Amino acid sequence: MVKIEARSVSKRYGNVRALDGVSLQIEDGELFTVLGPSGCGKTTFLRTIAGFELVDSGKIFFDKTDVTMMPANKRNAGMVFQNYALWPHMTVFQNVAYGLKARKVPKNDVKSRVERMLALVKLEGMGDRSPHQLSGGQQQRVALARALVINPQVLLLDEPLSNLDAKLRLEMRTEIKRIQREMGITTVYVTHDQEEAMSISDRIAVMHQGKVVQVDSPRDLYFKPQTQFVSEFIGQGTFLRGTVDSKEETYYLVKVGELTFRAMPADPDLQYSKGETVLLTIRPESFRLDASAENVMLCLITQVSFLGKSQRVLAELGEEHVVIEADPATQLVAGQRLKVSVEPAKTLMIKAT
Amino acid sequence: MAKPVPPELHSIFDLRPALRNLRWQMDAVAWVQLISVLAVFVVFMVWPLLLVSYRAITYEGAPSAYWFGFILSDPFYWPLRLTFHPAFPFIALLGVSGQLFQMAGNTLIVGAVDFGVIPNTLIVATLTTALSSTVGFLMAFIFARYRFLGSSVLRIALLIPLLSTPFVGAIGLKRMITAQGVLNNLFAGVMPFRVEITGLAAMVLVQTLLFYPIVFLNAYTALINIDPTEEEQAENLGASGFRLFRTVTLPLATPGLEAGALLVFILSLEDLGTPIIFAGTSAEKVLTYQIWKRFSPSGSISEEAMALSLILLAISIIIFVAIRKYVSLRRYAMLSKGGAWHPRSSKLSWTTTVGVYILILGTLFVATLPHTGVLLLAFAGQWGSSLLPDWFTLNNFVRVLNGPNFVRYIENSFIYSTAATIIIVILGVSAAYLVSRKKVVGMGSLDTLVTLPIAIPGIVIAAGLFLQFLASPISPLVSAAPLLIISYTIRKFPFTVRAAFSGLEQTDKAMDEAAVVLGASRTRTFFTIIVPLVLLNVLAGGMLSFIYSMSEVSTSILIGGANPPTAPWTYGMYNTLYGLGGGVFAAAAMGVLLMLLQFVALTAANVILRRRATALLSIS
Repeated sequence: MVKIEARSVSKRYGNVRALDGVSLQIEDGELFTVLGPSGCGKTTFLRTIAGFELVDSGKIFFDKTDVTMMPANKRNAGMVFQNYALWPHMTVFQNVAYGLKARKVPKNDVKSRVERMLALVKLEGMGDRSPHQLSGGQQQRVALARALVINPQVLLLDEPLSNLDAKLRLEMRTEIKRIQREMGITTVYVTHDQEEAMSISDRIAVMHQGKVVQVDSPRDLYFKPQTQFVSEFIGQGTFLRGTVDSKEETYYLVKVGELTFRAMPADPDLQYSKGETVLLTIRPESFRLDASAENVMLCLITQVSFLGKSQRVLAELGEEHVVIEADPATQLVAGQRLKVSVEPAKTLMIKAT
Repeated sequence: MAKPVPPELHSIFDLRPALRNLRWQMDAVAWVQLISVLAVFVVFMVWPLLLVSYRAITYEGAPSAYWFGFILSDPFYWPLRLTFHPAFPFIALLGVSGQLFQMAGNTLIVGAVDFGVIPNTLIVATLTTALSSTVGFLMAFIFARYRFLGSSVLRIALLIPLLSTPFVGAIGLKRMITAQGVLNNLFAGVMPFRVEITGLAAMVLVQTLLFYPIVFLNAYTALINIDPTEEEQAENLGASGFRLFRTVTLPLATPGLEAGALLVFILSLEDLGTPIIFAGTSAEKVLTYQIWKRFSPSGSISEEAMALSLILLAISIIIFVAIRKYVSLRRYAMLSKGGAWHPRSSKLSWTTTVGVYILILGTLFVATLPHTGVLLLAFAGQWGSSLLPDWFTLNNFVRVLNGPNFVRYIENSFIYSTAATIIIVILGVSAAYLVSRKKVVGMGSLDTLVTLPIAIPGIVIAAGLFLQFLASPISPLVSAAPLLIISYTIRKFPFTVRAAFSGLEQTDKAMDEAAVVLGASRTRTFFTIIVPLVLLNVLAGGMLSFIYSMSEVSTSILIGGANPPTAPWTYGMYNTLYGLGGGVFAAAAMGVLLMLLQFVALTAANVILRRRATALLSIS
């Protein structure tokens, strides 16, 4: 198993910068997710690691080995494609055995290793089937087995669950995590689905316009987003534009219109000066539907959506929009005035862009 | 999307990234493939054509426009002269001889008009294209939009003309449309006079009848591929009837229609078979025939023919490039999501069905006249000026299959076509693979280079090969074999390369990437993944390349004529007709055998590819 390192990798297509100085370190045995909206460069990044795209500048290392110019077939990487790319002219067994045959593994070993791998992905006895005779989830498992049977140094997964229905997606997510843990393989997982990324990853890199904007654990990404983009992309939130008034020990006092909020800087290392414009971001579930916390707002409800386990309330605070998650039992209607409050520790302050 | 950045000036002049990318993309096998394809096309297509061009623009060793001046001032080629009069209408066009309609005794002669070689060529091609497009599109629209009893059978029947080339078809049609021909005998009772179609009109008729299926197929495919929701949306917004057709349906089908029409225009330009059959009328005054006539079997070449070749080449390439660019500019990426849909079609009422039947059966009757003629001739024992042959016999076939010459011609054709097809398949798959999978600057030009033979008239390729290799070890005077194999390879290359390319484009790139990432070398990937996945497309394309090599006329007659013992099938037919062979009945029998072979091959290709086969006759 290896550690993957990308050092200021750039790649452009014509006038579009797909990767713009991307530097990342992926630890040995880690399940690392690259998350971002479509077109952010995440798939391009995965393909440079796989060896399908040549970077314009920068370097990629597997441990201490520079693999930047190494052909894809020498990198010993396993990859699962978005549409699985199972070969229709081969059986399941032949699909899985392909990489072993390309490595000139003795025939008996091929058989036992393929069978062991099929067992690991719970497809015992399916070796003689054609890929098109399998369900979507089974095809996914074959693709996974095919990538893993060669004992790759790294496992690359390109939106592997996007072609599955919602229920199967949950199931395969757990499966992939289980197999990855069992094999302890360094894994790079690319997805645009933030919930999927949160549930499966050890760490997540959020990409935007070819750049990495934040690398953190799922928990820190959610509770300590460093930019508005990350905050918006990972879950919903309320954004209030304000100006720094003064600094206390941990908190800053921020003026939003007539109101003054006590807020916590998302990045404690950043310094803010008086008068600087900042954004306050508050998660929907951080609101209390009374004035018991410190930062109190009186807003006007514009829309209420009942979601079963909760209800989502859209409201206005002056010019700003507020998103509140409320107990489903509470009676709320559009047009109603609502007093809410948030603790300072859950009122995050980030740089305004 | 990532934000666009302005190109940095220095990067334009820096070749290093390009070279680095080239090293990255290309491996040893890819280099071998690229160099083989380029070598074949440069040595056997580009270089010969340059030689033709060079000869055309020199006179007695020095660069000169002498031959073009000579051609344009000779009324034989370009008789049109504007003369200014003092009186209205001030100008007059001189130099047109013969008349479009002319009564001679009780016979109306149609088409004996002659505008000179160059205008004739353009007029015939334009009229053929217009007529083929009208008939082809009308039929495509009927079959794409209406369902009626027997529509699927009739749709296949309308493709019958594809089974014959103009050379074979013209032999049959000539028997139908002369003054003493079958049609005049058939309608003698109802017509007050006889009608003879000849000259340019006969040429347009032959070509239209044989080429309209190309437009039909392209337009039909385009029409059934229109996402029905796009038309439904237009109806939803209030458009219907002709307005819907004009504003939505026709524009969406236009690329298909244009692709078919372009192919017809070029096939008409390069047709040598029809003028040969109608020699002696104004039909022989077209560029192909005039170039061909200026070659002598001994190998001496008139420079005038080189200049004519260059003119013909320039016309077809300009049209090809212009329209291809125009069509690709207007190719509408279908915005809708994938997934099967049912093309919009409505059921016809009883009475309309009868009307549609009359229209289609009428078209079918006319369209199969050439084939009917060839069949009647092939089985005729003796045939004077009566409606049908005096008696029917199998003797023509017996003679053809027993005669040593005939069998040799057929054998030669089989050997040359097979050899050419093998080369085409190997190089065609390679070229398609490079174009589809290697993201290297210039691969688009490779695509154009290997598709270009569609736009190069056969007689011009023949002229170039003749010129370049006359004094070489593979001279056609020694044996026609090497140059014919080469000519078939070049000329029929596009069918296989287009088929392989469309197969590769339908195959997800992840299929080969999955193999590479598992450790397979690119060579291994090529043979274990790519070749099996596009095999069916390649087989079908190869089948077409083979069958169109068997029925190729221009180079076969010209190069075969330089060494008759090694000449192929179509030269055999020509020689049977005009040489010391067995006359029109035996030639027709050879034509029927050729049609039969084409029928088998096309059916097989169709079965292999099912609906995808239609894509093969499209140039796009």
